[in-house]
Amino acid sequence: MDQTNKKMHSSDEQESPSLKGTLISVLLLGSFLIVSWFGVYALFISR
Amino acid sequence: MALEKIVPVHEPERLPITKAESRLYMSFIYVAFIALFVGGLMGLLQTLVRSGSFTLPWGIGYYQILTVHGVILGLVLTTYFIIGFQFSLMGKTVGISFKQRKAAWISLWVMVIGTIMTAITILLGKASVLYTFYAPLKAHPAFYIGLALVIVGSWIAGFVNWRQLYVWKKQHPGEKSPLLAFMVVINMVMWFIASLGVATAVLVQFIPWSLGYAETINVLVSRTLFWYFGHPLVYFWLLPAYMAWYAIIPKIIGGKIFSDSLARMSFVLFLFFSIPVGFHHQLTEPGIDPTWKFIQVVLTFMVIVPSLMTAFSLFATFEITGRKKGHKGLFGWFRHLPWKDVRFFAPFVGMLAFIPGGAGGIINASHQVNGVVHNTIWVTGHFHLTVATTVVLTFFGVTYWLIPHLTGRKLTAKINKLGMIQTIIWAVGMTIMSVAMHIQGLLGGPRRSAFSEYGGTAQAQEWIGYQLAQAIGGSILFIGIILMMYIFIHLTFFAPKGIEEFPVAEEEADAEPTPMWFDNWKLWIGITIALILFAYSIPFVDIIQNSPPGSPPFAWPIGNN
Repeated sequence: MDQTNKKMHSSDEQESPSLKGTLISVLLLGSFLIVSWFGVYALFISR
Repeated sequence: MALEKIVPVHEPERLPITKAESRLYMSFIYVAFIALFVGGLMGLLQTLVRSGSFTLPWGIGYYQILTVHGVILGLVLTTYFIIGFQFSLMGKTVGISFKQRKAAWISLWVMVIGTIMTAITILLGKASVLYTFYAPLKAHPAFYIGLALVIVGSWIAGFVNWRQLYVWKKQHPGEKSPLLAFMVVINMVMWFIASLGVATAVLVQFIPWSLGYAETINVLVSRTLFWYFGHPLVYFWLLPAYMAWYAIIPKIIGGKIFSDSLARMSFVLFLFFSIPVGFHHQLTEPGIDPTWKFIQVVLTFMVIVPSLMTAFSLFATFEITGRKKGHKGLFGWFRHLPWKDVRFFAPFVGMLAFIPGGAGGIINASHQVNGVVHNTIWVTGHFHLTVATTVVLTFFGVTYWLIPHLTGRKLTAKINKLGMIQTIIWAVGMTIMSVAMHIQGLLGGPRRSAFSEYGGTAQAQEWIGYQLAQAIGGSILFIGIILMMYIFIHLTFFAPKGIEEFPVAEEEADAEPTPMWFDNWKLWIGITIALILFAYSIPFVDIIQNSPPGSPPFAWPIGNN
């Protein structure tokens, strides 16, 4: 990658807004799915 | 991908909706709201009966009102609202010609005739077979003929939608189809392919059998054809809500579409993976090879992919919009959302409900874990979160702007506030009712059953408290329905005259162009058919070849008394 491209790339990165909140939100959502599933699975195993 | 085959992002045209169009779209929505009131009243009565402290008067049967509730809300409210809403989306983005409008009216009248036939049959107690009408319960033939007409009417609507986009594409060569029109066409393609299954069951099996021309019915074939339709049915309900989430909500919150391509891809994946998955509703049924049940469970899990794509896209839309408005911190953007705008608030509560709704869906579709909840009232709690909260609250959210837009009126601050109260009442009522249903289901409480103490067994005693909670939740929900009917009537006939926006979100000015191959319908429909043939051909032939003897009809104790 030449110098000009590098510059363009980094300015693109600066412009794109942070999606950290989205990342945390989808991780929380995924965790909820997993916890719910294993909750009912535990019930299945225990019966 | 051929890079030259992409088109630049540009401001799409938005078409005005004429009075003649408004009449058409509103006619569908009138039927939907009448259905909401009638079906909701039946739901209230059911929860009261199941509390053990209420008996239905005048010889009305529990299974009669249960059938009215399921058919009127699950099939009538949803289908009419969806078709009316989708026609308005098509009218706004690609337009509707005079001939297309005439055909759309025919679709409405065919559906209305079918609905009236079905409704009268159920109300007379001649079709207490629940909305799944499982054989060998037998209803009066008019019930099945009416249902067939509703489906045929909805097909006509689908043909009109496809024609609308086709004509637009001819007039706009080289342009990508508008996002909302693309989504409507996907939903109607899915609906058409899926409803071929139930139409086959009704025309080939149920009608001749109920008329007495056939002595027996192949129960497993009928149930397999029903669930070939029954699972995509839930996505037929859900995708119009997703249309609002992807392409309308961003405009309401002052943002842009996160990604046009991602939205299209998620709809394409829903088309692929909604249909070849019906066996996950039949996991406890003998007569289906477990290998094919496993394969369809795997295909069902593929639906999680577009669902999570949707969740990611929505969070990202909210975050990007908030950050552009200057909100900082990890969740600072969350505060910027228009919490006092019911057009956003109602669908947002619907989105929240889809988190436990989706989690429950994954549990239902898992073969062994399904054994814990199968045929328990957990399942009823599950679909009251998905369709009766996620979908319905999103449809209410659409109602607040669509009705005044079509009737030339304004959403006033007073109605906005009432809508907020309505949403909260709905959320509270549904939380109480649905949580109680989920817990009772885990304790083994059956679904689809009237009140019973089951001979005084200890286990059934555990359930009664939850059934009381369901009656409390159901009563709160009915208050929510009365409020919504008031809001609907006010917005239709009495709200002040004015112009209400039809919010259609746009892409960012510098958005990545959408590849043109998204409009390759032959490809999407071809893959869909291939997946269906893969998932169903071998097991279906097996079911037919190794069937036990068919069943004669049972019209008693419920059915056609």
